[in-house]
Amino acid sequence: MSEGHTAQVMETVWSASSSPFGVSWQKLMMWVFIVSDGLLFAGLLTGYSFVRLASPSWPDRAEVFHLSMIGFMTFLLISSSATMASAVAAAQRADSRAVLRFLLMTILGGLSFLGMQAYEWTSLIQEGARLTSNPWGVPAFGASFFMITGFHGSHVLSGVLILAITAWRAGRGLGSPQGVELAGLYWHFIDLVWVFIFTLFYLV
Amino acid sequence: MSKAAHGYRLYWSPWFFLLLLTLGMLLASFLDWPPWILVTLLLGAMLAKAGFIAGNFMHLRFERPGLILMVALGILATSALLFVLLAVDAIRIHRLSGV
Repeated sequence: MSEGHTAQVMETVWSASSSPFGVSWQKLMMWVFIVSDGLLFAGLLTGYSFVRLASPSWPDRAEVFHLSMIGFMTFLLISSSATMASAVAAAQRADSRAVLRFLLMTILGGLSFLGMQAYEWTSLIQEGARLTSNPWGVPAFGASFFMITGFHGSHVLSGVLILAITAWRAGRGLGSPQGVELAGLYWHFIDLVWVFIFTLFYLV
Repeated sequence: MSKAAHGYRLYWSPWFFLLLLTLGMLLASFLDWPPWILVTLLLGAMLAKAGFIAGNFMHLRFERPGLILMVALGILATSALLFVLLAVDAIRIHRLSGV
């Protein structure tokens, strides 16, 4: 490839008005944020994996957790992802009533998830689980549980707030389809993280 | 089929499969299978669910390969590398504990 051709290709692909990934800069930056936030959870889950693999024993999850409730929480988040995706589709069709309806359903799913997570936390704390100790004989278990689910729960809470603002804007006709899409990407990311937490912490 | 209905099916079909996978994972975790089979199945189902969510809900499968690669390498490959590097030490420590 000649130098002149290379320069021409670089100019076309990387020039200010185009994106090499074929998406708007707002969407690209949301993906970059998602990758970096994903690495936060990767670090937390890897730390938990290290502690668990190194530990001679680990509490029986069926004994500690309300697994049927955790399963329902997973169902809630997955369903809220579907309603969020439907909201994005409605926004692209400029159907503002459907956008608001689906956003409110998503918010309801998120709030229900948070309520159940709060119940799970309360239940474990009442049994004596703390950051540095717990009644199941493995001190690191409590720290792992509260840190991982706490970080995830705070992401869900911030996601609910973002969706509430997006819904308010959609209700007033102020929002844009891209705004709903970007909020949707964050919400789906939260669901994606829970898929990993649910499997690695509660099932394996 | 109307455009709206077709659009919704794009999301509610994956939702149904995600639900089935979740139920399957929950049931499998209670089975008395050898740990390595169970862990492999659960991890496989986990990655399948992640693929469904990222591909369909996040529309990643409709994006350019460069973006897909950035996300996949950025999160999955980096996380897998981090885990593998630490797992070796963790297993060594586990063996030192005499179990």
